[in-house]
Amino acid sequence: MKIEILGSGCAKCKKTKEIVEQAVNEAGVDAEVVKVEDMDTILSYGVMLTPGVVVDGDVKIAGKVPSVDNVKKWIA
Amino acid sequence: MADKIKCSCESDNVGIFPCAGASNVGQLSNAIAVELHKAGVGNMMCTVGIGGRRSGLLKSAEGCERIIVIDGCPVNCAKETMEQAGINVDKHILLTDLGIQKNKDLDLETSQVKEFLSKVSEQL
Repeated sequence: MKIEILGSGCAKCKKTKEIVEQAVNEAGVDAEVVKVEDMDTILSYGVMLTPGVVVDGDVKIAGKVPSVDNVKKWIA
Repeated sequence: MADKIKCSCESDNVGIFPCAGASNVGQLSNAIAVELHKAGVGNMMCTVGIGGRRSGLLKSAEGCERIIVIDGCPVNCAKETMEQAGINVDKHILLTDLGIQKNKDLDLETSQVKEFLSKVSEQL
C-alpha cells in the first residue's frame, strides 16, 4: 500500500504525516508513507487544498488534518 | 504553479465554483470566478470535477469552510452539481438575477466583466 501526504511542509502537513504514521503503526499494515511537495503532482490529483492524503491513488481528504481513526478506516 | 494550491494553514478556505456554461452568462461566471480568485476572495475550483466525482476535487470542496457557487442562468447547473455531490452551498449567485440576459455570445467585454464582478462582490 502506498500512502502519499500532499503538502508544502506546513504545520498541518507535518501533523498529517505524524497521524498517518501513527495509524499505520497501530493498524500494523505494510504501507509506504511518502511526503509529496511537488505542486504538479499535487495538482495531478485534483487537490486544490492541502494537506491531502492519497491512498493507492485515491484522494481521501484535502484541506484538513485527518484523525487517526479515519486513517485506519482508509487503510483497513 | 505553487500559488494554485492553497494551504489550509492560511485563514478561511473559500471555494469558488462557477458554472462556466456555454453562454454569455456561463462564460461571465467563469471570468468573475477568475477575478475573485486573483483578488484573494477565495480559491477557484473545478465545478466539472465535482460533476465527474473526481476524488481530489470532491475532497477539496469538503475541505472548504465556505462554498460560493456562481451560476449564469436559472438552470442552476453548478448549484445542482454541488448539491447532488452532497456539498453544501453557502452562497449561491445567479447572474441573470443581477440584470443580464442569457444569450449565445461567448465573447466577453472587459467592461461587462468589471460591472458584474462589482455586483457579485457586493453580494459576498
